[in-house]
Amino acid sequence: MTSTTAPPRRASRPAVAGRRTRRLARTGFIAALPFLAPALAAYLVFVVGPTVESIRLSFFEWSGFQGAPQEFVGVKNYVRIFTQDPVFWTAFSNTLVWVVLSLFIPLGLGLVLALALNRPLFGRNVFRSMFYIPGVLAPIAIANMWRWMYNPNYGVGVTLAELFNLPWLAEIQWLGDKNLALYSIFAAFVWQIAGTNMVLFLAGLQSVSPEHVEAARLDGANAWQVFWNVTFPALRPTTVVVLVLTIINSIKVFDLIVGMTGGGPAQGTQVLALWSFQQSFTNHEYGMGNAIATVLLVITLLIVVPYMVWTARQEKNS
Amino acid sequence: MRALPKVVALSTAGLLVATLGGCASSGDADGKTTITWFKLTETADSANATIDEIVADFEQANPDISVKVEERAVDAHKDALRTTLGTSGAPDVFFSWAGPGLGGEFIDAGASLDLEKYYEQYDWSKRFSETTMSTVTQYGGYDGVPYTQRTEAVFYNKDLFAQAGITAAPTSYDELVADAKALKAAGITPIEFGGTVNWHVMRLLDSLLETECGADTYQDLVTEEASWADESCVTDTYTEFATWTSEYLNPGFISINNDESSSLFYSGKAAMAIEGDWFNQVVRDNGMDESTVGIFAFPTGTDRIYGFNENNYISANSKHPDAAAKFLDYLTSDEAQQKFIATFGSRSVNVDVLPEGQSDFDAQWNPIVEAAKGVYMNNDQNLSLAETTEYWRIQNLVATGELDPADAGSEFQKFIDQE
Repeated sequence: MTSTTAPPRRASRPAVAGRRTRRLARTGFIAALPFLAPALAAYLVFVVGPTVESIRLSFFEWSGFQGAPQEFVGVKNYVRIFTQDPVFWTAFSNTLVWVVLSLFIPLGLGLVLALALNRPLFGRNVFRSMFYIPGVLAPIAIANMWRWMYNPNYGVGVTLAELFNLPWLAEIQWLGDKNLALYSIFAAFVWQIAGTNMVLFLAGLQSVSPEHVEAARLDGANAWQVFWNVTFPALRPTTVVVLVLTIINSIKVFDLIVGMTGGGPAQGTQVLALWSFQQSFTNHEYGMGNAIATVLLVITLLIVVPYMVWTARQEKNS
Repeated sequence: MRALPKVVALSTAGLLVATLGGCASSGDADGKTTITWFKLTETADSANATIDEIVADFEQANPDISVKVEERAVDAHKDALRTTLGTSGAPDVFFSWAGPGLGGEFIDAGASLDLEKYYEQYDWSKRFSETTMSTVTQYGGYDGVPYTQRTEAVFYNKDLFAQAGITAAPTSYDELVADAKALKAAGITPIEFGGTVNWHVMRLLDSLLETECGADTYQDLVTEEASWADESCVTDTYTEFATWTSEYLNPGFISINNDESSSLFYSGKAAMAIEGDWFNQVVRDNGMDESTVGIFAFPTGTDRIYGFNENNYISANSKHPDAAAKFLDYLTSDEAQQKFIATFGSRSVNVDVLPEGQSDFDAQWNPIVEAAKGVYMNNDQNLSLAETTEYWRIQNLVATGELDPADAGSEFQKFIDQE
């Protein structure tokens, strides 16, 4: 006899999967919480807390001493830095120049080095070490070294000028010429950071499928076509990481400027991070210093967040 | 295996207890009081040795007190004070420049203990001169104990002067300029400065300001009773400064520090340097023949000498002010000051301690100091910290040709008006 009752209704597969995922997610998150908590607590205390406090202080006037009062001044500090501070816009433009140059030169150089040292090569490991070592040196040590190299009396330029009879080389004021000093410091930055980028790209290159590369070659692709159509797309996750790290490191550049010029000559190599520090700790203007730091934070977020969102969307679409 | 975590936990707890015990406040260990003294690292090694000796002598005479000296370079010392004063990490005693712009910030922030009771207890008012006491009482109470009274002048290499045909030290500004020209014509760098430490080149600018403006206008300018934009002597000052920096200073001065530039003086590559009485020992320590070095006051045409005072202060929240005061009493005593001025400079802050057995080189300071009727102070001590930063920026813009000297005064006044 044919049954006339409808079979028991079964929940649709996507709905079951959704509830199961949410249950698993809740279970997974709760299970992970004890492991996340210490790092999360440290992050809140040492990163989020000081950031919030810094933003708060940007609306006050304060000399920085424990017993001194903090006077609420509203947006006065921001008005001062944007309209009255004779150094702010120099620091702002120098920071942007530094970021833009960082996106092309040390990043590009790191990629080129990684591509060159990813293939079998005699002494490959020695070369990799040579290029990476600057990345583990203390920035202030690098600053001191390059400052001596640029010394107008005893530096490399002066020595080479004497050796090869090039008097014009001895006259170049690498750190004394306002039009040249920032780029002289940037050269030291490239030397410091290119090796680190190289290591990151080398790690990313290990995930490029050799079969895809082989297939592209068999299809007649030349080296550039293989790189652009196979290698570079596969490096996208690594490129995001390197790009974000490069932007963040370049926006907060500090040590090299302090060690090589102190922001001079005549504040010509001043950058936002250092100017923020000097306003707070040298001039005892903590409100102004934190206003500059907040501007720096906003610039960083404006650059990094849209890029990461765009990249995430690209990955989701692909 | 279960015992291992317990062992680790116990060991960690033990380590924490030991560490925290070691972090106990100064002076609690073995009943001995330890006071901390933040000061500058002296430029001359022998001066550092003298300080060590004075501290050792005090500790021997006071076995219940230990003095922990922490020395730093100029800018690092300023940073250490800013970040520790008013906190539990503050030293018991700290060195600071006595000028109202530089040292006054710490006083205004309440970082200094009023020492009136110690001045009475040790009768210090009689120990120090009127000039040095004025730096103590300038804020209304008794802040600090005089440490040094620094005089600055021009050191010159007699051999290089002779090489350029100069037979005597200049006694007027015009003669000084003529000497600089003669030195340059002889292929000798007339004067050396390190531009990355802005306070070094500032010494030239301040001296030119005194020369062009005179004592009264100089004081009016630094106390903001006169306008930098309106006084014509300010433009004259910056014009002269631009000439010196483009013609007579060591090439590339703007990108080296004072240690690097001073090496040019020690090695006979630069003829002059504007330094202070501490530099005598530095010259000796760097192997120069002191008989070849002369000293003359920058010929400003006024009767004031370039200089500044340095004091030691007791922190407002020091836990051991009595011990700190006892140490400062010893430091400024006849016995300690006699050792002190042998390596530190020509004059003691203690009026009863007179230079004895001086070398001819050190004795060159005596007529300079005796001829002076007053002091014009380094402007990084006169001006507020923010104004000093701007003063240096404009100084360097003029020095590098980026700012017309005629605009320098008004640029600085604009900043002062915004403060």
